[in-house]
Amino acid sequence: MKLKGNRLGSSLTLPTVALLLLSSTALWAVRTQEDWFRTGTGMGVEKFRLAVPDFRVVGLQFNPLGETFNRVLWADLEYSGVFDLVSKSFYPLVPPAAPEELRPQEWVAEPVNTHLVVFGYVNASSTTVAIGAWVYDVRNPRSPPVLAKVYRGDASEGTVRQLAHQLADEIVSRLSGGLPGIAQSRIAFVSNRTGSKEIWLMDYDGHNQVRLTYHNSISLAPRWSPDGTRVAFTTYAQGKPDIQIHSLVTNRRVAFPTYPNTTTTLAWSPDGRQVAFSSSLTGNQEIYVSNSDGSNLRRLTDLPSVDISPAWNPRTGQQIAFVSDRGGAPQIYLMDADGANVERLTSGEGYATSPAWSPNGQMIAFAWQKDLSSFDVYVLDVATRRTVQLTYNGGRNEQPVWAPDGRHLVFQSNRSGRDQIWTMLADGTQLRQLTLDGSNSAPQWSWR
Amino acid sequence: MKESKIQENLKRPLVVSAGIHSALLAALLISVPAAHYRGEAWGGPGGSAINVSVVRNLPGIPLPRPEVVTASRRATESKGLHRSEPKTPEPPAKAAVEIPRFGQQPPTRPARRSPPARPEPEPEPEPPGAIPYGEGGPPALPYTPIQMGGAEGGMSFGSGGAFGLRYSWYVESVRRRVSSNWLISTIDPYVRYAPRVVITFEILRDGTIVNIQMLRSSGVASVDRSAMRALQESSPLDRLPTDYAGEKVQVEFWFDFQR
Repeated sequence: MKLKGNRLGSSLTLPTVALLLLSSTALWAVRTQEDWFRTGTGMGVEKFRLAVPDFRVVGLQFNPLGETFNRVLWADLEYSGVFDLVSKSFYPLVPPAAPEELRPQEWVAEPVNTHLVVFGYVNASSTTVAIGAWVYDVRNPRSPPVLAKVYRGDASEGTVRQLAHQLADEIVSRLSGGLPGIAQSRIAFVSNRTGSKEIWLMDYDGHNQVRLTYHNSISLAPRWSPDGTRVAFTTYAQGKPDIQIHSLVTNRRVAFPTYPNTTTTLAWSPDGRQVAFSSSLTGNQEIYVSNSDGSNLRRLTDLPSVDISPAWNPRTGQQIAFVSDRGGAPQIYLMDADGANVERLTSGEGYATSPAWSPNGQMIAFAWQKDLSSFDVYVLDVATRRTVQLTYNGGRNEQPVWAPDGRHLVFQSNRSGRDQIWTMLADGTQLRQLTLDGSNSAPQWSWR
Repeated sequence: MKESKIQENLKRPLVVSAGIHSALLAALLISVPAAHYRGEAWGGPGGSAINVSVVRNLPGIPLPRPEVVTASRRATESKGLHRSEPKTPEPPAKAAVEIPRFGQQPPTRPARRSPPARPEPEPEPEPPGAIPYGEGGPPALPYTPIQMGGAEGGMSFGSGGAFGLRYSWYVESVRRRVSSNWLISTIDPYVRYAPRVVITFEILRDGTIVNIQMLRSSGVASVDRSAMRALQESSPLDRLPTDYAGEKVQVEFWFDFQR
């Protein structure tokens, strides 16, 4: 009996195993047949044409929040540098507020002739706001939406601005192949509007300017940490230039040593664990590296010249650009993160200062007074040492810093009379003034 | 005794056979929908055999539309070589002048002789296959030329399968990202032109680029390297469209370099 049972079992298991094998190979065969596409590039990059009709305001009548939302969203998308926004005057009279109301042929036809339509509604009650947003590829009307989301928050202008920034970032990221949008990034800068030079923070579009320091002294050169939770800056609060680090989470000062003599121009390593700075603690201004709490201090340069403004390659963390006058006038130099392989990047003409790496670690923006005329913003391709001038005939333009998307630059310019903060696309177009009060300088874009 | 043994002998294979058949049926029932769930469903939107809309519907290529799209468009650079001009009407024959009788009228000055009429050139016979004027022009093919800064490229989506049809915006975003990371400044300055580089890779769900392989080299090391680097720099791309069911997408990407 026992034997028979075993025989039955074995005769059943063999085909079952065979069957399982068979079905799994069938599955595997289908699984390997993946979807694919083919594309390529010459050398040009074109822009998406995008139509952004006003989101329909439902709920409360005469609600200013809907108007704010539409204005901020339009400005964010226009400023992203990725899209050609189709003028609103071309749109159909009643733009859709839900996918059922979208008639793609209206948007594909002349004069709109767009690729994508962003539409939705703003439903505001007295306490909360809900924003429904869709992005459709109207040239492929049967394809699923590129984006379909509902955002909720309390009914305040700040929240609505934030939601518009979020939506803009989402659209930019989806349509530019994963590059981050900058609508939620922030800019730190120095302002004397209260009488003394203090560190201030603002949104990337110049709104929401808030004061960070209350030293009633001189504070300079703010530097965001890579995670955006800390801001380091140089301050004369104790009578001489020292570095302080301020935590935005606890709103308190974070421990960082005070060195003898002058310590200034800090730079964070891309992982946020190390800092490079310029200090004259042994008498001459040299570049030092330490952990972000001040431990493990090492000196990288050793020449009787002034070496300041270190900038860490944000992509690799293996190189540091800095300014030195070892060859006469200040020029941009490059060295490994351990101080080896020093080489000059700029040609040696004029004065070159304030190097700033692009997020992909391939370009350095800097201010250059090439022929004793005026400082202008230049971009240097590190691989080829070729430079491109971005600002012309616009007063003194200094301290350029890249935005986290690598498409924009923020800098300080006195073209409007006093020093103010300006931003532009990295090809020198789309200039935008962000500050108006007092004199503002030394902008620094957050890392994301 | 013997009969019952035979019965027993038949029973077992029957049970086994029924078991195998039901298991096979179950496996088929399970595996077929499971298999179809991966990737694009057959017959999904845009997957029909003839879908002419793709070429036209490419986003991101601001091509000027051809002025006249004729059904019988033929592919040439020019608009058509031979313009057939309308036939000019023959001048009406002048009425014959009567010859005056001799002696009745003073001899008139001999009329100025008009220059001999040049014979109308015979229209050359059109070569076979000539394109009538206005009917030539760029072909309506899934090939769209891009011109920018003296360099030229092109791309073809049409054969891109259902993914390219359904998510053409994603394809375009990949193209934009890789293009912006292609640093032609790193290419040897003596190189003025390079044959097409074709590279294949896969995009995982989270946008990571894996399996970068050079399908066709240009033969110029610096061009190949710059193309490879462009792809490495672009990882991770944006995550695949959320409603796309597949695990990964295969991409064939080409680079045309010309200074």
